[in-house]
Amino acid sequence: MAKKEKKSFSQCMAEWKLFLYNPTTREFLGRTTKSWGLILLFYLVFYGFLAALFSFTMWAMLQTLNDEVPKYRDQIPSPGLMVFPKPVTALDYSFRVSDPESYRGYVDDLTKFLKSYDLEEQKNLTACPDGALREQKGPTYTACQFPVVSLKGCSGVEDPEFGYSTGNPCILVKMNRIIGLKPQGKPRINCISKGEKTATLSTYPSNGTIDLKYFPYYGKKLHVRYLQPLVAVQVAFNTTSTGKEVTVECKIDGSPNLRNQDDRDKFLGRVVFKITMHA
Amino acid sequence: MRLKTPEIYSVELSGTEDVGKTDTGDGKEKYRGLKDKRLELKKNHQKEELKKEVDLEDHKLSIKELERKYGTNIVTGLSSTQAAELLARNGPNALTPPKETPEIVKFPQADGAILCWIAYGIQYFNDKSSSLDSVYLGCVLALVVILTGIFAYYQEAKSTNIMASFSKMIPQQALVIRDSEKKTVPAEQLVVGDIVEIKGGDKIPADIRLLSTQGCKVDNSSLTGNLTPSLRTHDNPLEAENPWNKMSTSPVGTATGMVINTGDRTIIGQIASLASGVGHEKTPIAIEIEHFVHIVAGVAVSIGILFFIIAVSMKYYVLDSIIFLIGIIVANVPEGLLATVTVTLSLTAKRMAKKNCLVKNLEAVETLGSTSIICSDKTGTLTQNRMTVAHLWFDNQIFVADTSEDHSNQVFDQSSGTWASLSKIITLCNRAEFRPGQESVPIMKKVVVGDASETALLKFSEVILGDVMEIRKRNRKVAEIPFNSTNKFQLSIHETDDPSDKRFLMVMKGAPERVLEKCSTIMVNGQEQPLDDSTAEAFHTAYMELGGLGERVLGFCHLYLPADKFPETYSFDVDTVNFPTSNLCFVGLLSMIDPPRSTVPDAVTKCRSAGIKVIMVTGDHPITAKAIAKSVGIISANSETVEDIAKRLNIPVEQVSKRDAKAAVVTGMELKDMSPEQLDELLTDYSEIVFARTSPQQKLIIVEGCQRQDAVVAVTGDGVNDSPALKKADIGIAMGIAGSDAAKNAADMVLLDDNFASIVTGVEEGRLIFDNLKKTIAYTLTKNIAELCPFLIYIIAGLPLPIGTITILFIDLGTDIIPSIALAYEKAESDIMNRKPRHKKKDRLVNAPLAIYSYLHIGLMQALGAFVVYFTVYAQEGFRPSALINLRVEWEKDSVNDLEDSYGQEWTQYQRKYLEWTGYTAFFVGIMIQQIADLIIRKTRRNSIFQQGLFRNKVIWVGIASQIIIALILSYGLGSVSALNFTMLRPQYWFVAVPHAILIWVYDEVRKLFIRLYPGSWWDKNMYY
Repeated sequence: MAKKEKKSFSQCMAEWKLFLYNPTTREFLGRTTKSWGLILLFYLVFYGFLAALFSFTMWAMLQTLNDEVPKYRDQIPSPGLMVFPKPVTALDYSFRVSDPESYRGYVDDLTKFLKSYDLEEQKNLTACPDGALREQKGPTYTACQFPVVSLKGCSGVEDPEFGYSTGNPCILVKMNRIIGLKPQGKPRINCISKGEKTATLSTYPSNGTIDLKYFPYYGKKLHVRYLQPLVAVQVAFNTTSTGKEVTVECKIDGSPNLRNQDDRDKFLGRVVFKITMHA
Repeated sequence: MRLKTPEIYSVELSGTEDVGKTDTGDGKEKYRGLKDKRLELKKNHQKEELKKEVDLEDHKLSIKELERKYGTNIVTGLSSTQAAELLARNGPNALTPPKETPEIVKFPQADGAILCWIAYGIQYFNDKSSSLDSVYLGCVLALVVILTGIFAYYQEAKSTNIMASFSKMIPQQALVIRDSEKKTVPAEQLVVGDIVEIKGGDKIPADIRLLSTQGCKVDNSSLTGNLTPSLRTHDNPLEAENPWNKMSTSPVGTATGMVINTGDRTIIGQIASLASGVGHEKTPIAIEIEHFVHIVAGVAVSIGILFFIIAVSMKYYVLDSIIFLIGIIVANVPEGLLATVTVTLSLTAKRMAKKNCLVKNLEAVETLGSTSIICSDKTGTLTQNRMTVAHLWFDNQIFVADTSEDHSNQVFDQSSGTWASLSKIITLCNRAEFRPGQESVPIMKKVVVGDASETALLKFSEVILGDVMEIRKRNRKVAEIPFNSTNKFQLSIHETDDPSDKRFLMVMKGAPERVLEKCSTIMVNGQEQPLDDSTAEAFHTAYMELGGLGERVLGFCHLYLPADKFPETYSFDVDTVNFPTSNLCFVGLLSMIDPPRSTVPDAVTKCRSAGIKVIMVTGDHPITAKAIAKSVGIISANSETVEDIAKRLNIPVEQVSKRDAKAAVVTGMELKDMSPEQLDELLTDYSEIVFARTSPQQKLIIVEGCQRQDAVVAVTGDGVNDSPALKKADIGIAMGIAGSDAAKNAADMVLLDDNFASIVTGVEEGRLIFDNLKKTIAYTLTKNIAELCPFLIYIIAGLPLPIGTITILFIDLGTDIIPSIALAYEKAESDIMNRKPRHKKKDRLVNAPLAIYSYLHIGLMQALGAFVVYFTVYAQEGFRPSALINLRVEWEKDSVNDLEDSYGQEWTQYQRKYLEWTGYTAFFVGIMIQQIADLIIRKTRRNSIFQQGLFRNKVIWVGIASQIIIALILSYGLGSVSALNFTMLRPQYWFVAVPHAILIWVYDEVRKLFIRLYPGSWWDKNMYY
C-alpha cells in the first residue's frame, strides 16, 4: 500500500513537471505561447470592456446625484448625540488631577475642536435672532454665530484646561448634523448623573438649551462654515463622596421629533459616558 | 458397521473437544491473526480467496463416508449434546450481518461554525457587549451542517441493506432427527451432521446432502440463474443435482438430507459474504462531485489563506482576519449544492421509476448514463424467461413458429395430415395443466403447473388448437410413463375421440435420437412411410440445425395399438410394460427456446449507437448463448467468431487470425485458464463478446476486467449468484419480476418489467442528468465570485462590507435552490443517444472551461453589477463612492457615532450599521437579479436560448418566480428582523442590475453563437464547458 502511494507521488511530481513545462509540445502550464498570448489578449480586451462598462454605469449613477443634498435622508431621521473630547475606545474618561499629562489629550482635543468656534473665526458669521428656525432660500446660505462664551467655564476662554486641572472637567455634547432637520418645540440637552449622586452637573448654556436658530442645516457645500450648537457639561465632584467616579447620561429633551429612546441605537438622541477622576 | 460407529463418534468427539479447547485457549490471538491475514489478503489479493470456486466434495461421497466425516448417523441423527457442542463451536446457522460503518459527512462549514464560536468567545472576553453577529453566523453554519448531515444520513438509511434480505430467507423452523426422534427446532440451531426432513414448499434450511427423496424436486434457479435444473452430475456443486443448497425451495415431494454446511459456510453464505465483501465502488457521479468539491475547496482555501495573509500584513487584527477567512470560505462553498444534486437525482429517479426503472441508489441515476459496457444476463433480461416453441420439423420441412410475446401470428402450414397427428401428440403427451380459475387471463399469462418445456407445449397447443383440456378429456388417458433421465422419454396411452375407432393411441415424446430409435416408420404428408436412410439423414440434418440454433429439440412419435390385441378392456401396466414401445411411427420434431424479448434487438442497437458495448454473461450453454446473442444483435449479423471463420475457411481454429474476428464466445472453462492480462486483451480485442457457462465468481472477474479498461460497467442479473457481480459493478441492475431478493438488494437499480429496453431509457436519463448537473453547477458556481469579490474589496479597498455572510447563505440556500433544481427539467440540447459515453477520467463534470467561464466571465460581470447597486444605495444615502474608500476602520468603530458623510451629515454607529444592511440587501438583490439572467443562459451550453425555447421548461419560470418572491419576502417581510441583516429596499434599486443582467444574456448568446459558427476553434475549446 505504502509502495503504491510512493509511486503515485513520484508520478504526481512528474506530471506536475510536465504540466509546468512540456518540452515536446512547448507548453507552459498546459498552453503554448501562442495560446497564452491569445488568452491574455482576450482577457485584456474583455476586462477592458468590463472596466469601461463599470465606469460608465458608475458615472451614469453619479449623474443622478445632487451635489448639495443627498437623494435620500430616510436612514437618519433623528440625530445622534456625541461628546468631546473624542473618546478613544469606550466612552470612559479617566485622568489624574495632579498629573497634567493624563488629561493633556482631552484638553488638546477640546481646544482643537473649539478652534472653529473662536471669536476670530466667527467674525463673518451672522448674528441670528434667537428662538426661531432659520430657514433660508438661497442661493447663498449663511451660518449663525455661536457665542462660545455661553459655555462659560467650559469655553476654554477663562480656563484653557477646561476644568481638568481643578477637578471639574468639562465634556462637550453635540448633536449630529442632519440636513434639513427642523427640531420642534424647545430642544435642550438634559444631563443627569446615574446611580449615586457623587457629583453635581452644570450644563452651559443654562438649562442645556439648543437654540432653534441653528436649524435647519443645508449641507457641507451650501452651508459653509456652519457651526453646530454645543452644550457643555461640567462635573463637580462632591467633596464628601469618596468615589471620584460618575456616569453621566445626556438626552435630548423638549422636542417631540427628536427621538431619545431606541433599543438598538444607544446614541440616538442620548449619550452615556463615565468620568473617573483620581486624586 | 453399526457397532463400529460409536467408536468413531467418541474418537471424533474427543477430537472436536480438543479443537474446542485450543480454540478457546488462544482463540483471540487466532482470530486476530486470521483477521490480519484477511485484511492483508484483501489488500494484496483483492479477496482472491473469496473468488475461488466453491469447493464442495460431499456430493461425491457415499453415505457411509458422509456418516464418518460428519460423525452422525442417518437413522438416529445426532444426539442433543453433540448438537449443542457443535452449535457452540460453529455458531448458529445464520448469516453474519455486515458491519455497519456510518459515514459522517464533513463539510467546511463545520469548521466555519466552530471558528465563528471561537471568534465570538474571544470577542466576548475582550468586550462583553460585542455583537452577536458571529454567534448567529455560527448557528446558521451549524444548522447547515446538521441539516445536510441529516439529509445525507436519510439518503444513506434508504440505501442497500443486503444482509437483511439474506437473513429473511432463512426458514424459521426445521424438522430434524436428533436422539432418534423427530424434533422441530429453529433453523438457526441446525448443526453440521443433522438429519433434516424437507416437505414440499419448504425452504432448504442449510446446505444439505440428499439421502433419500420421494418425487422431490428442487428449484435452485436463484443460485444458478438457470431456468431448468441441470441434470448431469457436474463438477461444480452449484450445478450438481445433489447436494441441495440452502435457500432453494422444494416445490413438491419430501426428502431427507444431511446438513453439511451451516450459516456463513453455506454456499448462499459464501455468496453473501462475497457480495458484502465486494466493496461498493464509488459511483462516477460521486467521484465527479468529489472532484468538484476539491476544486471549490482548493479555490476557497487558497483565496482564503492568501487574503488572511494579506489582511494580517495590512495590520488587521488576527481575529478580524479569521472572520474574513470564514467569509471567504462561506462565499466559496456552494452550501446548497448537496441538497440540489440529491433532489435533482431523485427527480430523475422518479421519472425513471415511471419508465419501470426503480433506482435504489440515487447516485446510480447518473452512472447509467456514463455506462460504457453492459454485462447482461441472458435469461429473463434478454429473453422472455420462458420456453417457447420456436421451430417445428415435419414433412421434411422446418417451420418457424411465432415466438413473440403473444404467439398470435402462427403462419406455418397447418393443413398437412402430419400436423394433425403431431398436434395430437403435443396435446396428449403432456402432464402440464393450467391452474384453474384463470378463464379471463390471456393464454400466455396463465399460470401453468408443470415444467418449462411442457408449459411451452401446452401454451403452444392451446393457442393453435383451442381448449386443450377439452381435447384431453375426449381422449381419456389410460396409462402413462412420466419422463425420467434414464428413459429420456415420456409416454402415454389414450382412448381416441373418434367413436368408430376403438384402437388405443400411444403417444411419445423425448430426446429425438431416443425417439427415433424406437421408430420404424415416419409420417410424411399424413402417410406412414418406412424409415429409410435418406429420411433418417433428413432427420439428422434438421436435428443438428435446430440444435445449432441453441434450441432444445424434442422428438414426437405415436402408434395406434391394434384393436384386436388391445381391446377396450385391456389393462395397461406401466411397470411391466405390457405394450410395444418399438416400431413406432415418427411424426416430427419440435424445438423450443427461451426467445429474446421483442424489444431487445432494438435496445441493443440503440446501445451500440450510444457507444455502449453489450456483453452477454450467462450460465447457459455456449450454443444457446450464441444463438440468442445473434438474434438480439449482441453478435451482429455480419460478424464472426474465430470458430466461425475456421469453419467457413475449413482450417483449424489456431490458424485463424484473431484480428479477423469481431465476436467471441468464451466459456467459463476457458475463462478459468485465462490470466487477467489475457482477459484484458480479450475485452479490448473483441467488440462483441458472449461469456457462457460462467460461475458467479467468474462474473465478478469479468466485471473487474471491464473496470480495468476504465469502463463504467452495468451488470444485469436476477439470481442470488449474480449478487456479487451486481455489487461489484458500477451499477447493478436487478430484475424486478424474476429477480431474487438478494439480487435486488445488491443492485442499485431494479427493472420493474425485467425489460432490457428499459435500460436504454435509463441511459438516456442518466446522460441528460449529467448534462443538466453541469448546468446546475455552472449556475451555482457563478455567484460565488459575486459573493467573494465583496470580501476582497472590503479587505483591500476598505469599503464598508458590501454583503454579509448570513446574506450569502440566504442566496446559497434560499433564492438559488429552486432555480438550480429547475435546470434538472431542461430537455436535451441534441440527440444524447448518438454520442459516445463520457470518458470516466477525461469528460469531467466540472472542467476548466466551466470553472473559468463561471468564475472569471459571468461571475465577474455579476460582481460588477452587484457593486453598482451597492454604490448606488450608498451614494444616494450620502456616501459617495470616493468617500467609501478606506472608510472601513472608522465605519466599524463602535465609539464613532458622528461619522461624517459626503454631505456633512453625521451618522451614529447604528445608523451606519443599518445602512450597511441596506447595502447587503442591495448587493443581494443585485446578485439575485443577475442570477435570473444566469439561470436563463444556463439552459443551454451550445444552442441559442431561442433554439431551445424560452418557455419549454416551465419549471425554470417557477424557479425565477421563487427567486423573486423569496427576495421580496426577505426584504419586505423579514426586513425588521435584525439577525437576518435585511432591510426594506427602495423599489427602484431592484432594477439597477437589470442592464447587467441583460448584458450577461447577450454575452452568453455571443459565446454560443461563436461556438456554433466555429466548432473546434480556439473559442470553442476555451469557451465550451
